[in-house]
Amino acid sequence: MAVLLLWLLAGLVTPSFLTLGQVRNVVQVAAFLGVVSLGQTVALLVGGIDLSVGGVVTLTNILATSLMVGQDSRIAVAVGVSLLAAVAVGSINGLVVALLRVTPLIATLGMNAILFGAALFYTGGAPNGGASPGFAVLGQGHLLGVPASTLCWLATAFVLAVALRRSLFGRWLYATGANPVAAHLMGVPVRAVLVTSYVLSSLLAALGGLLLTSYIGNPSLGIGEEFLLTSIAAAVVGGTALSGGVGGVLGTVGGALFITEANSFTTIAHLATGAQYIAQGAIIAASVLIYSWLSPGGASSSLQP
Amino acid sequence: MSTHDSMLPRRAMLGLGLAATAAAALPLRSARADANVIANATIAASPQMTSGQRFKKSGKLRIGFSNGFSGNTWRTECLASLRQEAANRPDIADLIVVDGQGSITKQVNDIGDLVTQQVDAILCIANSATAVVPALRRATREGIATVPFNLPVEGEDWCAYVGTDPTKKGRMLGTYLRDALNGKGNIVALGGLPGNSYTAACWAGTQETLGSGIKVLAFAPASWQEDKAKIIMADWLTAYPNIDGVWADGGMDSAGAVEAMLAAGRKLVPVTGDDYNGILKLHAKQQASQPDFKIGLVSEPTWESVIALRTALDLLAGKDVPKQQTIVPQLITDANSTTYIKSNLPDGVYVDTTLSDAELAKLFR
Repeated sequence: MAVLLLWLLAGLVTPSFLTLGQVRNVVQVAAFLGVVSLGQTVALLVGGIDLSVGGVVTLTNILATSLMVGQDSRIAVAVGVSLLAAVAVGSINGLVVALLRVTPLIATLGMNAILFGAALFYTGGAPNGGASPGFAVLGQGHLLGVPASTLCWLATAFVLAVALRRSLFGRWLYATGANPVAAHLMGVPVRAVLVTSYVLSSLLAALGGLLLTSYIGNPSLGIGEEFLLTSIAAAVVGGTALSGGVGGVLGTVGGALFITEANSFTTIAHLATGAQYIAQGAIIAASVLIYSWLSPGGASSSLQP
Repeated sequence: MSTHDSMLPRRAMLGLGLAATAAAALPLRSARADANVIANATIAASPQMTSGQRFKKSGKLRIGFSNGFSGNTWRTECLASLRQEAANRPDIADLIVVDGQGSITKQVNDIGDLVTQQVDAILCIANSATAVVPALRRATREGIATVPFNLPVEGEDWCAYVGTDPTKKGRMLGTYLRDALNGKGNIVALGGLPGNSYTAACWAGTQETLGSGIKVLAFAPASWQEDKAKIIMADWLTAYPNIDGVWADGGMDSAGAVEAMLAAGRKLVPVTGDDYNGILKLHAKQQASQPDFKIGLVSEPTWESVIALRTALDLLAGKDVPKQQTIVPQLITDANSTTYIKSNLPDGVYVDTTLSDAELAKLFR
C-alpha cells in the first residue's frame, strides 16, 4: 500500500513518474536490492542479521565477470562457482554463529571485510572480464514487456514465501527466530536451521549479485557496499522485525520496491544532492513509523510470510 | 575551499587557486614507456619554492606511501607506476606502502607509524584534506620530506603538492560540451561520490563556461560507478524526453549513462568524462552507427605518484622544489581518441598512464 501511495504522490510531483517506462525502470532496478533483501529477511527471521551480503554481491560480481570473460560458453562455470562460493560463505557464517556462538552482527561484519579483502586480493585491485551477451539478457532483457530481472525476483520471492509458509523448515525458522531455547525444547534442530538460513541468505545475495552483474556487465570492487544496510532497511520497511521471528518475504518485496522508488523519485525531482539524501532518509523513516502505527500490537502481529 | 571531504573521494583534489605560472616540463629520464607520457605533459610549477636543505639525506633512502584506500583501478595503476619508479632508483632501499582502507583515523595512524619508522620521505593521498594536517606537520618538523598528491591537504605544513586543478578541468569539460552542442540544448549531470570536493570544484568550473543557452535539467551523484550512473540515467530518460548532452566528471559515470541510453533505444548524445578505457571502447563501438555520440574526456594522470616521488627525492638530494605542481591533463576527443584507446585491455584501465600495454595486461591479469 505504501508503495502505491508513494508512487501516486511522486506522480503528482513529477507526472513522468507514472509513465509505463518509469514503472518498468523501477521494477527492473528494484530486483537487485529485492533479491538480496529476501536473503536478509531470512537471516532476520531466524533471529540473526547478515552484514556480509554486500561482500557476497561484490565477490559474485568479481568472480562471475572474471570467469565469464564475455563468453556465453562460460556462463555455467561462472554462475556455478559464484553460487558455490556463496554456499561456502553462508556455511561459515552459520557455523560461526550456531556453533561458536559469535554474535551474528560481528560474525557477518567480519565476513564482509574478509570478502572485500578476498575480492581485492583476487583481482589485485585491477579487475578484468565482463558478462557475456547471453548472460546480459537476465538483467537487461524483457519478457512480454516485463524486465527479466523483475521476473526472476518475483519468482524467487514466491518460491521462498511458499517454502516459509508451507514447509516444516519455514515453521522451524520462525520458531527459532522467536525463541531459540523454546524451539530447541520443542525438538527443532536449531543449529541446522541457523546454518541453512545463513546459506540461504548468502545464496540470495549471490543471485542478486548475478542479476546486477548482468545489468551492468562489468566488474566493480565497490558494487556491493550499498546493499549492506539497504537490504536491512528493505526488510524492516516491509515489516520484518530486527528481533527475529516476526515478518515475511512478501513485505520485503514491497520494502525493496519502496526504497528503489524513493531513490528514483528523488533523482527525478529537482532536488539538490543533499536534499536527495534527506528526502530518501525521511521517506524510509516515515514509512517505518507509519507501518508500526498501522499494525495493531506491533510485534505480536507476527507470521505473515 | 571545502573543509570536509567525503570519505572516499576516488581521485579528487581541490582547486589550488594557483596564479598563472610558468610551465616547466620535466626532463626526459629514460627510454621506458613512461618517458614520452611524462615528457610530453605540461606541469605548471608555483613560484613559491620549498628549500631542500633541511631534508638532505645521504645513503640508501626509505620512502613511505600512505594510500588513503585501494580498490579502484586508478589507485592500482597509480601504485604500480610508483613501484616501478621506485624499483628503477638504486638509491631507494625500501618503499613502504600503507593502506588507510578508506578510514580517516587509520590513515592518521598510518602516517604516525611511518614517522616512528623514521622513513626519509612520506607520500600521501589523503582521505581528508584536514585530518592528516597534524600528522604531516609532525613529520615535516622531524625532517621528513612530505609530499601529498592527487588530493589536496589544507594549509602549508607539508613540503610540496602534486595534482591537477579540478576547476580548470571543469572549464575544459564545460567548454567542450558547449561547443559540441553549439551553445544550445538540455544536459544532465552526473557527479562522483556525494559531497566530494573534486566534483564540486569541477562542476563549478563547468558552470562558468556552459553559457546561457545550455539548460541543466538535473544533477545527481553517481559515485563514479557504472551501475549507479546507469540506474540514474534510466530514470532521467523517462523523465526528460529531450536530453542533448551528458556531463560527468568520471568516465564510469558517462559509460553508465551511455549504456542506459542504449537500453532505452535513445539516440546517443555528446558526453564528457575522464580517461576511463570503458568509455573510449563504447565510443569506438558505437561511433559508426551513432553520429551524434561525441566524447570530451579530461584525464587524471595515474602517474602523479611518479612526480610526487621524484619531488621527494629532489628534496632528499637537498634541491629546492616548487611548493605546488599542477599537471595539465590531456583532453581526449573524437579527433584524437584513437591514440589513447586501449582496445585489447579491460574497461577498467585509465589510459593516461606510464605503464606499457604489456605491463597493464599483467596488472589486469
